[in-house]
Amino acid sequence: MSSAILETGGTAAAMRRNFWRGVWRVMRRKPSRLIGAVIVLGFAFMGVFGPMFHPELLPRDPDRIYAPMSAEHWFGTDGQGRDVLAQVVTGSRYVLLSALVTAVITVVLGTAIGLFSGFKRGRWDTVLMRLTDMKLTIPGLPLLLVLSTVWSFGSAVEMGLVLGLLGWGGVARAVRAQTLSLRERGFIEAARGLGLPTTHIVGRELLPSMAPYIAMNMLIAVTGAVYAQVGLFFLGVLPYEADNWGVMLNLSVFGGGALTTTAALPYMLAPLLAILLFTLGIVLVVDAMDEIFNPRLREE
Amino acid sequence: MKRLAAAAVLLSLAAVTACSSGSTTGDKSAGGGGGLFTTIDVNRPGIDPNAPANPYNPKGNSFLGYNAMKLAWIKNHMTDPNQFYPGIAESWEIAPDNSSITVKLQPDNKWSDGKPVTAEDVRLSIGIAYTQGSTAFAITPGAAGAAADVQVVDDKTVKVTQDMTNPSAKFARGVLDTYVAPAHVWGSVLPADFWDKLKASRGTGADAEKAREEITALGQKIIAFAPPKDVSAGPFVLQRANPGEALLVKNKNFYNAANVAPDQVKFLNYTGNEQIWNYLISGKLDHAGFTAAPPDVMNKIKQASGANIIKGYSPVAVGLAFNQSKKPYDNVHVRRGLAYLIDREQVVKVASPEGGTPAVTTSGIHQKPAQEWLGAELGALEPYKHDVAKAEEEFKAAGLQKKDGKWTLADGTPWKLTMHAPSGFSDWISAQENIKGQLTENGVDAEVVTVADYPLYLEEIAAGKYDAGFWLIALGPAPYDIYQRLYGASNGWTNVAGKIQHAAPGKGGNWMGGAEEIDVEGVGKVNPGELTGKLNAADAEAAKPIMLQLAKTANRDLPVIQLWDYVNTQFTNTGRFTGWPEQDSDLLRLPAGVWIQLGMVKKTS
Repeated sequence: MSSAILETGGTAAAMRRNFWRGVWRVMRRKPSRLIGAVIVLGFAFMGVFGPMFHPELLPRDPDRIYAPMSAEHWFGTDGQGRDVLAQVVTGSRYVLLSALVTAVITVVLGTAIGLFSGFKRGRWDTVLMRLTDMKLTIPGLPLLLVLSTVWSFGSAVEMGLVLGLLGWGGVARAVRAQTLSLRERGFIEAARGLGLPTTHIVGRELLPSMAPYIAMNMLIAVTGAVYAQVGLFFLGVLPYEADNWGVMLNLSVFGGGALTTTAALPYMLAPLLAILLFTLGIVLVVDAMDEIFNPRLREE
Repeated sequence: MKRLAAAAVLLSLAAVTACSSGSTTGDKSAGGGGGLFTTIDVNRPGIDPNAPANPYNPKGNSFLGYNAMKLAWIKNHMTDPNQFYPGIAESWEIAPDNSSITVKLQPDNKWSDGKPVTAEDVRLSIGIAYTQGSTAFAITPGAAGAAADVQVVDDKTVKVTQDMTNPSAKFARGVLDTYVAPAHVWGSVLPADFWDKLKASRGTGADAEKAREEITALGQKIIAFAPPKDVSAGPFVLQRANPGEALLVKNKNFYNAANVAPDQVKFLNYTGNEQIWNYLISGKLDHAGFTAAPPDVMNKIKQASGANIIKGYSPVAVGLAFNQSKKPYDNVHVRRGLAYLIDREQVVKVASPEGGTPAVTTSGIHQKPAQEWLGAELGALEPYKHDVAKAEEEFKAAGLQKKDGKWTLADGTPWKLTMHAPSGFSDWISAQENIKGQLTENGVDAEVVTVADYPLYLEEIAAGKYDAGFWLIALGPAPYDIYQRLYGASNGWTNVAGKIQHAAPGKGGNWMGGAEEIDVEGVGKVNPGELTGKLNAADAEAAKPIMLQLAKTANRDLPVIQLWDYVNTQFTNTGRFTGWPEQDSDLLRLPAGVWIQLGMVKKTS
């Protein structure tokens, strides 16, 4: 018995080794993927540690309002004479944390409902899918605009929670479809025939097969959440936070005239570039994941 | 995001109605001669093509001074509220004791459909004014400066008498500041028994209350009223409106039509300031009212061909107002300490370099009329120049403690000054952000919180939800109007039927929560609300000593810290039209349509 356990453990370790070797191979094949991973890690680092490098109240210089780009201020200064880059860094925590919360909620809720619905079928499926359909028919942005009048979204978690609760519908539908297809496959039939418990079938057979798909959905949900909240702040429907990316965009365009003259252009470009770079990183990582989890795509 | 600067709101609040008048674009109009005058309405973003040509409708395609006319146009003179330019009225006679005003209409004025403008039109318009809540035509029992009787003397003369139980020096202003609508088009909006109802509403008891309710209910009907076509007694009449623009053509029947230069006026649609900037930079507009712009954009606007920026006095200032029901703002030393700590010049430099001048001190009056009201005494007021040491002294006198470089309340609990501003008021937010920086650097923790919009802001500030927020003050020129912003309803004092009553903090709209009686050095004990109430009936000479007492009180008591006094900046273009008002002209406080109808604006030859 003990040798069997050891053997199982050894196989698992070997599989993990092989997996990471595969990952490394996929990454190396297209260096852009490596760059993507570095970007995403860089943003994660920025969100976690970035604000620690700057004082809570950024230094300001009222004599240098909308200063141009320089070695001292890489992206110039804002309408208060504060360094724009420092604001992008300190503002990243809210954006990234809420995006992460959104993604986790979207995926956990979407997967749970989709799996349950697809696996159980019958009445539960009907009820849950009608609920999902109803949820999908509610337009997100108008609802957010209405919600923002009663809720100030003061913390990143609150923001993420709301965006997550609004975003699980698509994932639930897709996961259900996958579940319906997988549950008719031979290996699930065999597991059922062996009398394995449902938790095993769902947890050990179904879920791993769908994990790559779910993980990719999660990453894409992160970018979606970034757009949604930055958009809300840009529209000015949410309370003002000096170093929020969306507020920066709003102030640069409507306060600084970034679309009219060049003075406030760096102020607008900095958060835009951050969003662009972050999206690029996510896309490249998703591309790598696709190949890692889908052997048919591997160009051996 | 609503992007109108706070200034636009203040202008409308001050009844300055900085309507836009525009600039002409180069194309010749079909009418020949005058050409096209292009403008925007700074107080109203977005043109609704389906909105009626109704001056009472907030979205109506009725533009003040162009196709919406008032009896006369208020000059907003520094100290005299009763100076006007002629409008529908050619002249007026005000009784020496302000008990009545006799209005003579322009003898040759006709509506755009050819019918003459008569005293009946004015009478109907006064009836409509009652439904809309006007100062002279108020149905609230005991309101100050309300009319008692409206009498049609002859076809071109109307006499309005004031109810002298609670008179106001600005009664005539209230009467002349009335829209005039054509009775032959609008006649149906008021029921036949309207005037009987009005009489009934003046009494007491259930019947009077019912009558008042019915009159107020008519207000909504009037706002929604859509005349089949625009019938105007102004220099222009609406021809068409689409989502991009509203086109007005000259009203040939207007009494001064011969001197109205443009043949057509075009109001361009816009949704945000940045569109106005682009219009101005490209030289498209002949006139635009004040629009906040960052320095770089302002430079570009100035460089546009023909650009001509005219500046004048805007009877309004902004202050940081405190809720004195909340600690530590009940302590005058805290308010004074903050006044010393805030460098007003820096605030204005960052927030509103073109739209304001730093307040010389807190007097409750805009610095321009303050010189006229207070004379040399203005210089004797404490200027509250930026002085960190003095601020520390004041905070210590208030019993605050400094721990690790941060000020705390007397009992050692943390102190954070939370300032509120409505979202979209970019100059206010920018100013508060700057103040936050200044205060935090000197050990006073501060934060800026925005509120969805201005109406919500006003609602919440009145409900006492904020510690501090920006508050428009010094809404001149009438002395009572100036001080009622500091010592009026928001600070507990109301004027009901000529009697000043004080409500306790947190009740009856009293959110400032100041003391009812204040001991002012050099003045003695004063009840600022009662003093303000006296201004209602006082003439300029009688008002002067009261104004001085109130200025001293505001200066020592600091219910608000006066931050900057607004500057009325108007954008014009000399490329197609000339004859613009001079710098500092009182006309800058009127819509450009008034400049045109008075015959000042000429086509560039």
